[in-house]
Amino acid sequence: MSEVDLKQLKIQAENEVVAAKTMADLDLVFYKYLGKKGQLKLLFRGFAKLPESERKQLGVEINILQKRVENLVTIKKTALELVVVKPAAKAEDLGFTMPKIGHLHPITQTIRMMNKIFIAMGYSVMEGPEIESDGYNFRRLNVPPDHPARDMQDTIYIKEPDFLLRTHTSSVEARILAKYKPPLKVVCPGRVYRNEKVNKSNHFIFHHYQGLVVLPKVSLKDLFGTLNFLFKKMYGPKTVIRYRNKYYPEVEPGVGSDMLCFACQGKGCPLCKGVGWIEMGGAGIVHPNLLKIAGINSQKWMGFAFGLGLDRWVMAKYKINDIRTLLGGNLAYKYFEGENTLS
Amino acid sequence: MKVLYSQLKQLVPGLKASSKQVGLKFAMAGFLLDGLKKVSFQGKKDWLLSFEVRQNRADCLGIVGLAREAAAFYGLKCQLPETGVLPKTGKASFALVEAKTAVKRALAVEIQGVKNKQSPSWLKEFLSFYDINSINLLVDLSNYAMIFTGYPSHLLDKNKISGSLCWAQNKDFKEITTLDATKIVLKGGEIILKDDSRILGLAGIVGGKQAMIDLKTTNLIVEMAIYDRAKIRRDSRALKITTEASVRLEKDLSPEGLDYVIGFLTSLILKEVGGKMPSCPLFSFYPHKQTMPKIKFNPGMPGVFAGIPIRESKCFQILKNLRFRVKKLSKNSWQVVPPLDRMDIAIGQDLVEEVVRVFGFEKIPIDELPVFPVVKTITPLDIELAEKASDILTTLGFDEIRSWTLTTMEMNLRTSWISWQNIATQNSVNEEFPDLRQSIAASLILELREYDKRNVAKIRIFEIGRVFGRVQNNFQEKEMLGLLIKGKDALQNCKMAAETLLRSLGFRKVGYLIAKAKPLAASPNSCWNILANNKIIGIIYQLGQAEVKETAFLEIDLSLMNKHLAGLATNPVVELDNKLVALDANIELGLKGDLRALLTKIEADIGQNYLWALEVVDQFALKDKIRYTIKATYKNLSDKAAKAIHLKVFSL
Repeated sequence: MSEVDLKQLKIQAENEVVAAKTMADLDLVFYKYLGKKGQLKLLFRGFAKLPESERKQLGVEINILQKRVENLVTIKKTALELVVVKPAAKAEDLGFTMPKIGHLHPITQTIRMMNKIFIAMGYSVMEGPEIESDGYNFRRLNVPPDHPARDMQDTIYIKEPDFLLRTHTSSVEARILAKYKPPLKVVCPGRVYRNEKVNKSNHFIFHHYQGLVVLPKVSLKDLFGTLNFLFKKMYGPKTVIRYRNKYYPEVEPGVGSDMLCFACQGKGCPLCKGVGWIEMGGAGIVHPNLLKIAGINSQKWMGFAFGLGLDRWVMAKYKINDIRTLLGGNLAYKYFEGENTLS
Repeated sequence: MKVLYSQLKQLVPGLKASSKQVGLKFAMAGFLLDGLKKVSFQGKKDWLLSFEVRQNRADCLGIVGLAREAAAFYGLKCQLPETGVLPKTGKASFALVEAKTAVKRALAVEIQGVKNKQSPSWLKEFLSFYDINSINLLVDLSNYAMIFTGYPSHLLDKNKISGSLCWAQNKDFKEITTLDATKIVLKGGEIILKDDSRILGLAGIVGGKQAMIDLKTTNLIVEMAIYDRAKIRRDSRALKITTEASVRLEKDLSPEGLDYVIGFLTSLILKEVGGKMPSCPLFSFYPHKQTMPKIKFNPGMPGVFAGIPIRESKCFQILKNLRFRVKKLSKNSWQVVPPLDRMDIAIGQDLVEEVVRVFGFEKIPIDELPVFPVVKTITPLDIELAEKASDILTTLGFDEIRSWTLTTMEMNLRTSWISWQNIATQNSVNEEFPDLRQSIAASLILELREYDKRNVAKIRIFEIGRVFGRVQNNFQEKEMLGLLIKGKDALQNCKMAAETLLRSLGFRKVGYLIAKAKPLAASPNSCWNILANNKIIGIIYQLGQAEVKETAFLEIDLSLMNKHLAGLATNPVVELDNKLVALDANIELGLKGDLRALLTKIEADIGQNYLWALEVVDQFALKDKIRYTIKATYKNLSDKAAKAIHLKVFSL
C-alpha cells in the first residue's frame, strides 16, 4: 500500500461521508471503511510481509486515517440526527411512547379540595347510601308525607313511597344524627338524583356537598364565616358572597348563599337570569325537630348544616358551561399537560 | 308571585324605598327576587317584581301577603280595602258539606240579578301580568281576588245547579269535563263539588263545565273553602292537574282568612257587576275554629342564633311590625301569638327566624372563621382507600370518569357478575335508562362508545362509584372501582394495573382464579376473579367480540378490599435496638416445588418479631431440582441468637 493509495482512500472516504444523506447511507460508509471487513481493516492484512520499519510507519498512518474517518462519521451522524425528521407516528415501533398523564375528574378534584379545607378544620368525611328510605330522605328531615316542600325535590322512586334515590345529601346528615352522638363536625359529598328534565343547567344526576356541625352552641355568624372561608379558598379572596333567608324544612333559620355572578359581575346576564347573583347552596341552623327525632336534646345542642350544589361549584371553577358534560362522554382530558391539582 | 310596585305603594302608603330596594329587602328576608321588569300599567310606568315564595308561606301567594311583609320590613302600616257587605254568620241552606274530614272550612254566598259582561281594560291588563286570559267580568274578578288575597274562589251559575251545592267525596262519577272542556277520568275518592245529580268541580283544583259562569249568568254562588291540604295535593298529583288554585290550596292557608276574601270578592262583584244578595246569602261550614299557638319565647335567642347582639326592644318592635301579639311574662320569657294568617309559626325557633330575617342577614359578619373545639374523627377508611386507589391509577396514566348510574336492563344482563337482581326505577326521567347499574362496566362501555365516536384512541379510564342490586327484598349497593383499557395488549395492561394497584395498597399476594360467574360481556376464556392475599375481591376480563375489540375491564369491590386491608398490620414502624443480622442459607427444591409456600413457612417459623427481610438472592439449576440461596435478615437479635434461629429454621 503506497502513500498515494492512502491519500486517495482518505479523500474517497471523506467524500462519501459528506455525501451521505441518511443514517442508512452513513451506516454503509461506516461498514465500507471501518467494518470488520472494511477497507481500512483490510490494509492490515499485508502487514506481515513488510519490513518492521515500514510496518510501524504504515500502522501509524492507517490508525490516523481510521481515527479521521471515525470522527467524520460521528460528526456527520450528529448532523444527520439534528436534521432528521422522525418517521411519522412510528413511536411504538421504536418501543417508546410519550407517557400519558392521568387525571382526576373535576368533580373529584373539587371534592378533594373542599375535603382538604374541612379536614384541616377538624371535620370528618362521611358517605351514605344512594338508595334511601323515605324516612332518612324526608321524614327525619322535617318533611312529612304530602308536605309541599317535597315539590322542591321531584323524586325518582325505586318503590314508591318507601324507597327512592336520594334527592339530597341531607339524608346522610339524618343518618349521622341517628348514629353518632354529638359533638360532630362532618362533611358528606355525594351523588344525588331528581326527576328533572336534562338541559344545559339541570341534570337528573348531580352532586351535593353536605356539611353538619353539632356543638353546644353555633350561630349564623359561625355558619357564614365557615362558608365564606370555603368560597374564598375556592374562588379567591375577591369573591363576593351574600347570605339571605331561605326556607328549607330541615333548618331554621334557613339560608341561601349566592355568589356574585362570575359572568357579568352582578350586572345581570342570562346565566344569572338578570339578577346578578348565582345561588350556590342552602344552609341554616339545624331544625330542633331533626335533633328531637334523632334523640338529641335540642336544649343542649345546636347545629348548622349546609348543602352545596357541587356541580355548579365545579362548573364555575373549570368554566364548564353545560352540566351534561360532567357526566357525559364528551369530557376529555388534555393528553400531555396535566393539572392534577387545583390552583 | 308577582306584584306591581304601584300596588305595594297603594297598600303600604308610607313606602319610600325604590322598587329595586324593595326587591333586595325581600330577597334578603326570604323571598328571592327572580325578576324585576319595567312595565306600563294603566298608561303609567311601573315595575313588576317577581318573587320566589317560600313553600311554608301560603299567606304570601297573594298581593296582600307581600304588602304585609313590606310593611313589616319598613315598620309601616298596611292598609287593606274595607269590606263589610256580608253577615258574620251563615244560615243559608243552599249548600252542605258531606266530606267533613277533608273540608276545614267552606263559605258560599248567593248573589242574584248580576249583569255579567266583558272586563274593563285595567282588569284585562292586570291579569295579563299573571298570564291569565280574560274570560268575562265575573270570572276575571274571581281571579283578581285570588291574585290579590292569595285565596282561590269558585263561581257557579246558580241557575244551572239542581238542588244543593255539596262538597263530597267522589263515589259516583267516572269523569268530569272542566271549564276549559278537558275531560278528566276520575279514580274515585276525590273531593268534589256536586249538585243533586251532577259533578260541578274538583274541589280546590278546577271547576266543571256544568255550572260554568257565562255572559248570560244572572244568579251565582261564590264558594271558597280550605281543605285538608294533603288531600288536595294527592288528588292533584293523582289526576295530574296543577292549577293556580291547587298550588295554593295544597299549602297551609289559614281558614280564618276566608272571611275577608269572600267579603272582598262579593263587594267587587256587587260594585262591578251589580246584583243583590238575598236575605240569607251566606252558607258557612266551620266545625273546628282555627286557633293560634301561644309560644314561649326568650328574646335573647335571636341574638344567640345570629351570633351578634340583637336588643330586646328591637325584637319586640320586629314582632309587633309582623303583627304578632307579644306579652312580656318575665325578663327572659315572652308569650307570643302569631297573626291568624301565619300558619308557618309554631315554635320558638320560628320566631327567632322571623326576628333575624327582618333584622337583616346582611348585618351578620361573614368573614370571621369560627374556632370550634376538636371533635372525634369518624371518617371511614373506605374514603381514604378510594382516594389512594384513584391517585395510584392516575399515576399509571388512567383518567377518571364519572358516569350515569342508570342504564338499561340489557346492559345489566351483559355486565353483572354478582348474584343479585336488577333494580328498576319507577319514574326515571330518562326512559331509555330506567335501571340502576349492576356493574361499572355498564357505564364504562357506554363511555367508551362515546369516546370512539369522538375518535379518542388508547383509552385508559376508571370510575369509582356505586353499583346496585336486589337480594330478595333488600336493596343493596356497593362501592366499586371499575377500570377499562382499550388498545393493544389490553388484558395484559389491565392485569398490570390491577397488580400495581393492589400491591401499592399493601397486598403482598395478587392472583387470579378462573371466574365462577362470568358476565355475558366477557370473553369466556379470558375471565378471572381477582385474588388479593387469597381473597376474591373482584373480576377481570377481556370483553367478548360482541362488545368492543381489544378491550379489557376489571372491577374491584372497594368495601371488600378495605375489609381485607383492615386485617393487615397497620403500624409500619419498628424500633431497631440491635444492628440487623443478615445470614444466607441454601435450600433445594424439586422442579415442581412451591418456593412461595416454602418462604411463607420460613417467614412464619422466624416470626414477625425477629424477621426483617427474606430475599432470594441467587438460584442455580441442578439436574432435577433448583438450588436457591436465601438471605434472611434478623432484627432485635444478637449475632449469636440470630444464628441459632437461622440454623434451626433452615435445618442447617
